[in-house]
Amino acid sequence: MNSVMAEIVTPLPAVRPLRPALIRADGLTKTYQRGNERVHALDNVTFNVSAGEFVAIVGPSGAGKTTLLHLLGCMDTPTSGLLALSGTSTSGMRDGALTRLRREQVGFVFQHFGLLPTLSVAENVTLPTLFSRRRAAEQAEVLLDRVGLSHRRNHRPHELSGGEMQRVAIARALINSPSLLLADEPTGNLDSASGEAILALFQELNRDGLTVLVVTHNPWLAAAAPRQLTLRDGRLVQDTAGPIP
Amino acid sequence: MHWISLALKNAGRRKLRTGVTVSGVAIAIAALFSLLSFQRGYQVGMQNELERLGAHVLVVPKGCPYDAASIALHGASWPCYLKADYLQRVSQTAGVAMAAPILMNAVYDNSTGEQFVYQGAEPGLMAVKRSWHLNGTFPQQARGRLLGAHIAAKLHVKLGQEFALPGLPGETGVVSGILAPTQGADDDFTYMPLAEAQRIFRRPNQLTHILVRLTDPNRLDQVVSDLRGCDAGMDMNVVPLAHLFHTIQGLVNSTRALLGCVAVVALLIAGAGVSNTVLMAVTERTREIGVMRAVGASPLDIFGLIWLETVQVCLVGGIAGAALALLGAHGIESWMRDRLPFAPTETLIRPEAGLLLVCLAVALGLGSMAGLLPAWRASRLTPIEAIRAGGGL
Repeated sequence: MNSVMAEIVTPLPAVRPLRPALIRADGLTKTYQRGNERVHALDNVTFNVSAGEFVAIVGPSGAGKTTLLHLLGCMDTPTSGLLALSGTSTSGMRDGALTRLRREQVGFVFQHFGLLPTLSVAENVTLPTLFSRRRAAEQAEVLLDRVGLSHRRNHRPHELSGGEMQRVAIARALINSPSLLLADEPTGNLDSASGEAILALFQELNRDGLTVLVVTHNPWLAAAAPRQLTLRDGRLVQDTAGPIP
Repeated sequence: MHWISLALKNAGRRKLRTGVTVSGVAIAIAALFSLLSFQRGYQVGMQNELERLGAHVLVVPKGCPYDAASIALHGASWPCYLKADYLQRVSQTAGVAMAAPILMNAVYDNSTGEQFVYQGAEPGLMAVKRSWHLNGTFPQQARGRLLGAHIAAKLHVKLGQEFALPGLPGETGVVSGILAPTQGADDDFTYMPLAEAQRIFRRPNQLTHILVRLTDPNRLDQVVSDLRGCDAGMDMNVVPLAHLFHTIQGLVNSTRALLGCVAVVALLIAGAGVSNTVLMAVTERTREIGVMRAVGASPLDIFGLIWLETVQVCLVGGIAGAALALLGAHGIESWMRDRLPFAPTETLIRPEAGLLLVCLAVALGLGSMAGLLPAWRASRLTPIEAIRAGGGL
């Protein structure tokens, strides 16, 4: 590992923050019916995340990491348990209210980037503002500049490298100024150099106060996060910030 | 970025498939536009033609009144004749203001293979043909000839000039008058005194038809009844032109209704095709719908986007169909004119702006209806369903 990498992945001390809880998950449970089998994707998961934290969610495949991310992003609803974002309980929320909450509070970054192939880089970045009915062309320029892709603003996704596509996806996730950034295996499709750049970007955003939750299998990405939540078989088995409640 | 541009970019993703779908709509709209333009053109053409004839009633020999009316309007040789003394009976019938006797004949000029139509008439015809504008006078002398605008131009003759009557070897005449263009069959006719026509065509004391103008057109039914009841009533056919117009228009309307059903079926098939294509597109783009839901699109946003795509496809199809109909109007007109038993000389296909708007509105309505199902299905996808169905993000 080179020195830059070493610098990036050096974990910061896990300190329980004294800031207000951005996420409060209490007994989150998610079950699916698969044929005759009842699958417990998440089982009684409880934790809090304060504003400004950088958290990695780790665990083996099938542990429930992505399911948890979807619940935190208001893309799915728990079978039981309580979830509150910025003090707003999502229990019993209808689809419209969940969509509003997701639009205003959450930014998503996906493993496969999720860029629309027919849109240019700039159009992909401003896509969420179409749904929030606001104009953000200038903000898009600022974000593209921040992720170092101003010169690619009129290019199509297929003209970009994997790392560039993921940086576009991050700019898109930030366009509505969310308080929470959720990333699902953001380096899963990238080479190590691109992965390092993405991690550096996450760390920079986190230093600016953005709360970042990353689901990852990547050990150095997980190690770079000051706090790790480890899931196994749908249960939260380890929280580096303290004992499991 | 705007909704319209986003929808356009989505619709243009599979160009061939979208093109085929647009073509289906275009063909249906072209059929509808052509049908409506034909209906309008035929109606206006018929009305103008009958107005140009100037008569309220046509008296013709026994036989099919529609054939007779067609010959009187467009010019041809008649298979049978009226006796000239019927004119007096007709003129004396109460309510008849003017009765203009005509002897019409068509001849072929063997040298050119063209048909020329001659009409023998009396100066009283001018009282019936009120829309005519003459340069010169109606023939007063036996050798005088009144020429329609087209035939005068074709023969390159001027007022006072002597000329050989085409198709009638050895016969000549002097141009006494030239008609201003009427946009009707009169432009191709050559008029001469009735007695001269009876001599040339060897039809002494015979007429082909009588144009009758009434003192009060509101008394049409009574006058027609009186004409049919006069002494000559059993030997002639009395054709009220208003009735003739309504009957022919009724026949055309029946045909239009049949063709209209075909156009509606074509529209329904096109609509089903559009709906199916967009449904396929929704299935293919399930993952993208999941992305859009994840970044803040509501179900209504997704519904609106897919619906807008469908409407755009149909609107483009509508515009293309209208353009297709306009480009093909000449060909359709020729094809229909060859097949219609009775067609006005004016243009049959009359594509008006109002009809164009109607067709575009139909395309819009078609898109609106066809888009409902795919838009509803897309909007029902939850973010998590969309992402899972798309193989994850």
